[in-house]
Amino acid sequence: MNNHLKHLTLGLAMLGVSAGVSASDADDFPSKPLQLLVAAGAGGGTDNFARVVRPMLEEALGGARSTVINLPAASGALAHQRTANGAADGHTLDFASTTFVTSLAAGQNPVGLDQVTPLARMQSDVMALFVNPERFEDFDAFMAYAEEHPGEINVGGTHTASPDHVAFLALRDASGIDMNFIPYDSTGNATANVLGGNIDATTTSLSPLLSYIDAGQMAPILVFSDERLEDYPDVPTTVENGWDLTDGNDRAIFVHASTPDAIVEKLETALKEVYDSEEYQSYAERVNLTYREGWMSSDEYRQRLENNFELYSRLLQDD
Amino acid sequence: MLEHFIGGLAVVMQPLNLLLLTSAVFIGFIGGALPGISGVILVVILLPVTYGMEPTTAFMVLTAIYGATVFSGLITAILYRAPGTPEAVMTAFDGYPMTQRGEAGKALGIGVLSSAIGGLVGTVALIIFTPMLASMALRFSSPEYFALAVLGLTVVASLGGRLIFGLIGAALGLFIATIGIDPLTGTSRYTFGNLNLAEGVGLIPVIVGLFAVSEVMKRTLDHESHQPLKKVKIKIFDLPILRQIGVTLSRSSLIGVIIGILPGIGASTAAMVSYSETVRWSKHPEKFGKGAPEGIAAPESANNAAAMGALVPLFALGIPGSGTTAVILGAFIMHGLQPGPMFMVSSSDLIYAVFAGLFIVNFMILLFSKPFIALFTKLLNVPYSALGPLIIMCCVVGTYSVRNSMFDVWLMLGFGVLGYLLEKINFPLVSIILGLVLGPIAESELRRALSMSQGDVSIFLSRPISASLLAVAALLLAVTLIAPLIKRARRKTAAA
Repeated sequence: MNNHLKHLTLGLAMLGVSAGVSASDADDFPSKPLQLLVAAGAGGGTDNFARVVRPMLEEALGGARSTVINLPAASGALAHQRTANGAADGHTLDFASTTFVTSLAAGQNPVGLDQVTPLARMQSDVMALFVNPERFEDFDAFMAYAEEHPGEINVGGTHTASPDHVAFLALRDASGIDMNFIPYDSTGNATANVLGGNIDATTTSLSPLLSYIDAGQMAPILVFSDERLEDYPDVPTTVENGWDLTDGNDRAIFVHASTPDAIVEKLETALKEVYDSEEYQSYAERVNLTYREGWMSSDEYRQRLENNFELYSRLLQDD
Repeated sequence: MLEHFIGGLAVVMQPLNLLLLTSAVFIGFIGGALPGISGVILVVILLPVTYGMEPTTAFMVLTAIYGATVFSGLITAILYRAPGTPEAVMTAFDGYPMTQRGEAGKALGIGVLSSAIGGLVGTVALIIFTPMLASMALRFSSPEYFALAVLGLTVVASLGGRLIFGLIGAALGLFIATIGIDPLTGTSRYTFGNLNLAEGVGLIPVIVGLFAVSEVMKRTLDHESHQPLKKVKIKIFDLPILRQIGVTLSRSSLIGVIIGILPGIGASTAAMVSYSETVRWSKHPEKFGKGAPEGIAAPESANNAAAMGALVPLFALGIPGSGTTAVILGAFIMHGLQPGPMFMVSSSDLIYAVFAGLFIVNFMILLFSKPFIALFTKLLNVPYSALGPLIIMCCVVGTYSVRNSMFDVWLMLGFGVLGYLLEKINFPLVSIILGLVLGPIAESELRRALSMSQGDVSIFLSRPISASLLAVAALLLAVTLIAPLIKRARRKTAAA
């Protein structure tokens, strides 16, 4: 009885604290240096993203200080874990890619969508199916070949349960094409195998392969998008084939799920300011991430993550 | 092409560029010499600094750092058996015994010269053959990588010491390599639900533990007396030695370049394979591991050649051949450049300036390494009661910094104890590293190859490169196993 009372009072007191002080919390925020965790190794796309955003975010938050810490182990699961288990005060930000949700669906990431809150999505690199144009002229030729040679088409991409892999699974599931996935260590190795004619195609995001497209050595024959891309008007989309797939390699920022709303809002506003800045946009253009609107607000992105989680869980289970 | 190269040299020779290049070499020296601080980390740390530079200057600086780190890993490997970079681990096997014999200066001299020669061979290959070599590298796919790994693994039979230990060591290395999330199916293997093990056991904790930590333990616990080094005199150009290691240098540089160019594997594997081949072809394989000069020349020329070779697919195809080149690829993109098939054409000025820079860097290594190494050899006069803890501290900090993981530090210390115990029974530690480096390649490429062929094993024999590599492996294995039998039979007939 006594214990119950104690808990009740404690609970009430905490409620009072979180409700009463949160407004001024947000005014004081950030009250100490921020930790920007990167759920990927140094030097990759997500790491570059975090390191570019860092000084702009510091400025947008009125001269805050921050440090970047790479936690690549377990597909970034350690970074998610540290975010979800740390203090819910918004000082620990988790910079993560679509791998967050794909590794969750594969059972490799113990941090669920209920344990973190997305602040915003800032990038979405469009997924596409790429082939060597000497081998397949277009998607129709690819389909025709696949029908004649069921089970013989090899599609490469990065490791199992990666964004590349789930995009492949989603396409195979929707289109019914009978093809195999071969997981490689990196996009580069998958690309090299398509260039060398060792495998037939690769599903991966658009921007890393632009130079091959320009050189005519690789061609996208299907993009995961609802509209045709301005630069590739002849390349059909998944949606026009009747497959509702708009996968991309998203890059987003997460905080602890119980972070006070006022702080989440403040961070989201600051990130929007960064996103809209000329400096950020010129970076996005430089790394070719302007094919699709990158920005997605906290609520919109949460919805997308939940939908993707459901789809990816089913696809990975069936595989 | 020659005029491009001379144009590049002119860019490099601008005073500011030359100054930056020199500083880059020194930064690389320091990073490479500290265990755990690798080229990857240095390039990442310095990347933001290069934003303010012209892209040409920026990439001269980044690639110079890269080249210098691969070189300077040998210093601590030879002097303290604490390889500064994973690429230098093979160098410790023969370099450290030479130091123990009081021949540190000779060992370092061989290392410096071999590195510079390997680096130059690699750079020349890079300059002349980039487009040609790149298309050759594309012919390599999973069956070929698997065959190459098998070829490397068969050398266990030629390594000195007891064969059974060699086999146990290689098996142990192969086993450690299976820990973590299997990249092909996503299944967790031997992780016991521990997230720290999901990514597998890193090469750095194992190497630093097995070699550096165990050595400090040995010298502290066993009160092993060691020859006090009065004065280490480094002689880089030593004709008799050069004559002795000439063949090794040419073969290893060539192996290094070829392996470096292959996009799937890096300079550590190159050092490993060339060391193995040197042992295999040597008339005195029993001398290796006890301070054979060829045992330094082979891995050092190969890893530097491979480091340059790894830039070939990066420049020609936009495909990185190793961890550090992957980071350099990211850096190109951050500077708004698109490495890829058109890169050689669209940015030829930049590329030739980078080539020229690397060319100069190899000479700088010859020139500046002596005074730099002198700093480290002075440390040898520090009493070991102070130096030992300092080495352990560097190991801890270096290992932690790779993945920001305290778990890796405990792992490293655990491997330190293991290494200490194994050396008590004269266990060849090299076999463990052999399994650990080649294991992931052998396993995943085997499975990848089989899924390419829908399970048909004939894929290994129907592709010419993989078939020949496997045939060579089988032949060499047969020769090393049968040769002693023939020798014994001959001795018997002679005696009878």
